[in-house]
Amino acid sequence: MGASARAGAIAGVVTIFLAAVGLIGNFTDLNLIGTQVTFALLMIVISPVLAGYVVTSPRVEGGERVAFTLGQAASAGVVAGALAGAIFGAFVVFVDVFGVDRIRPIFLNISPTLMDYLTQDRPAIVAAAIIVAASVAAGAAGAVYRVLPDGIRKPLGSAVWVTLLFGFLQRIVPIALDQLDIERDWLYSKVTRGLTWPGAILIALVTAGISVLKARQGETLRGAIRGRGNGERRGPLTLTPLSIVLALAGLGAVLIAPHVLGSVIAEVLGTVMVFALLGIGLNIVVGYAGLLDLGYVFFFTLGAYSLALLTGATLNTFVGSTDPAVALDLNFYVAVPVVIVIAAIAGVLIGAPVLRLRGDYLALVTLGLGEMIVVLVTSPWLGPLVGGPQGMLDITNAAIGNFGFRDPKHFYYLAFAFVVLALFVSWRLANSRIGRAWTALREDEQVADAMGVSTTSYKLLAFAMGGAIGSVGGALFAVKIGSLTPASFQVLVSIQVLGIVILGGIGSLPGVIVGSLVLVGLPGLLREFEEYRLLAYGAAVVAVMLLRPQGLIPNVRRSRELHEEDREQDKWAGDVAADEHVAQGPSPLGEGAG
Amino acid sequence: MSPALLEVEGVTKRFGGLSALNELSFQVDEGQIVSIIGPNGAGKSTVFNVITGLYPPDEGDVRLRGVSVVGLAPNRITRAGIARTFQNVHLFPNMSVLENAMVGMHCRSKAGVFGSIVRTPAVKREEETVRERATESLDFFGSRLAGYRQDQPAFALSYANRRRLEMARALATQPALMLLDEPTAGMNPRETLELRDHIVRMRDELALTVLVIEHDMRVVKGVSDRVIACDYGRKIAEGTYEEVANDEQVIEAYLGRKHEELG
Repeated sequence: MGASARAGAIAGVVTIFLAAVGLIGNFTDLNLIGTQVTFALLMIVISPVLAGYVVTSPRVEGGERVAFTLGQAASAGVVAGALAGAIFGAFVVFVDVFGVDRIRPIFLNISPTLMDYLTQDRPAIVAAAIIVAASVAAGAAGAVYRVLPDGIRKPLGSAVWVTLLFGFLQRIVPIALDQLDIERDWLYSKVTRGLTWPGAILIALVTAGISVLKARQGETLRGAIRGRGNGERRGPLTLTPLSIVLALAGLGAVLIAPHVLGSVIAEVLGTVMVFALLGIGLNIVVGYAGLLDLGYVFFFTLGAYSLALLTGATLNTFVGSTDPAVALDLNFYVAVPVVIVIAAIAGVLIGAPVLRLRGDYLALVTLGLGEMIVVLVTSPWLGPLVGGPQGMLDITNAAIGNFGFRDPKHFYYLAFAFVVLALFVSWRLANSRIGRAWTALREDEQVADAMGVSTTSYKLLAFAMGGAIGSVGGALFAVKIGSLTPASFQVLVSIQVLGIVILGGIGSLPGVIVGSLVLVGLPGLLREFEEYRLLAYGAAVVAVMLLRPQGLIPNVRRSRELHEEDREQDKWAGDVAADEHVAQGPSPLGEGAG
Repeated sequence: MSPALLEVEGVTKRFGGLSALNELSFQVDEGQIVSIIGPNGAGKSTVFNVITGLYPPDEGDVRLRGVSVVGLAPNRITRAGIARTFQNVHLFPNMSVLENAMVGMHCRSKAGVFGSIVRTPAVKREEETVRERATESLDFFGSRLAGYRQDQPAFALSYANRRRLEMARALATQPALMLLDEPTAGMNPRETLELRDHIVRMRDELALTVLVIEHDMRVVKGVSDRVIACDYGRKIAEGTYEEVANDEQVIEAYLGRKHEELG
């Protein structure tokens, strides 16, 4: 009861917050399904739903997990929803009584549109009552959903979120369908822009069906695995005909993607790949070697500007473009290796002074080093070289013959090639003597040293390799936009890339790709939410850290490291059960695993 | 006359005002098992940390085959041929058992960045060798670290097996001198007995020189060619087990301390 009330209260406050930042008022026209389900509506009910879901998590009583019964869950959800609704309803009444015009100067987004949407021309008090009722329903729905049996819950859950996702992707899916000349009016309405009801219901049914099928399949798969002996070693990846066909189909889809999806999406995907490159590079430093680098923008900037200088870009000045103080006129493909070498050397130079620092101190120093480069490229001192605040123009389009790569559809392929290359390099390094040394270094620096791993060399190597790959990201970025200004090279880049690595799963290469798709791709596609990008970014990273600290696609070893505490406890049971000869004496259990 | 394998000469190490080691000198001859004994706080582990380069000595010298190793980074000393285990087992807990041993081979292999990315034939061969040697050092402990256990993460091992893995990892560095810091601490009598045999086998089969810190006097008696007794960072006795065990200063160091504790 107390927990439900608390969750409900928090949900109510969160809804007020969402209203105050404009996530309700500005999106009353963003139709997801029909005209009824809008993004604004979603924002109103999402918090009560989550509150209902959270308060019905199984309790631990007398050492056992006790799930809520349907009735208990429903009543807990109702309490949470009612309180959430009451608080938000009170807010609506308050705004109405106090007057929107008097609040708006402070809270810009508490607008007449918002109030019109919330009240729908009814008196505020009636609107509040409707909100309470809706919240109660939402809270109960969230709570009941949680206690449903798995066989119903999973298909229902995936049906809802996939349908909503398709609602969100109203900018992308219809374009793709149009490009493919597929009639799509039955799915996405041209009037509301969102899904039509029949379309939505179809998507929901298909998703639920797939979910049920998958559950069945999983059952048989698990049965098959259980049948095999568990002593046998896992062999290398076996290439079945099916997996080859799937891989080829996947590759084909990736290759034709820009043509199917159009320039706008190809452009976004280009940015995604630039950030994926940065992520792959930072992953070496943070994920493999365990060195927290908050100044990664350094290499991004270095790569972009050194490529510009090497390939004959010009300065952007008030009198037009002029040549920089020092410039070469190399071909892009000659310049990139040079950029890589420069970045690797810079990595060593940056790494050298911070070798002795660990953890927070390392993070702070690298943060400072990352800021320095922004100051440098803006400064009048380097102005004659890199153009100061005005930056540089006429950067090479990396043409092969007459085929330039500035066009987003073309750039996609160039970036894709480099991402594949970087993935390959990173993967090979991780699974080698060098990768082992990095892992040892990350797990226990002092012991690695005592076992013959030169900590100095391998830290510097991590900075050099990470820097080299990051600089390629910078070089491609320069090619992509064709001009450079210091505004593109802010500390925010470091944070974004770190966010990608963390969200995807530290140390995981597939994670980096997924991380960049989620953190760079989605905001690029959902242009309406441009203003809320950083809010969503922060929310996403916080949510991942709380709910899934190992990341979306975790690296097995890293996720183990995060669960070290659980392990300390499991060890009591594990040590007793696992081995036939249990270690005796008082000390073993007290001492950690390493 | 060729110098002893390890010479510790006049080593002093102070922590603040406290001298953990005080002009400590001793030698370890090739092919011997030498035990260091002494009450808690006698500076035994500090000797190991000084020898392996974790702490620089304030005074004195440590020489391996007549060459000073003072001032070298720990990884260089390991490469020079001194391997060690730790009093509180320090493995790489999330690496597999085999990988732990393979890290030990690091200083005996040389694949670089380019080779690792391209996987040249030479690198592939080396990786294969590393794997074989690592497996060999795990096999030193018979079936304890064999088979499916090699793919388990190190933290999943039992306590005794963690100790064994730590020794296997040290063996994989292909040392001339092995430093074992309380290898039987926390083991049951059967495991202790087994480990005693392992230490002897290191000398007899692998031709290693072993310097071991040990509290269990049955082990000390069973393995030692020579025993060095320390107290307050000084050497108070040296000789065969019988000589040291009957030395008055040694008895006093152990028993006298007991009186103080009781009083």
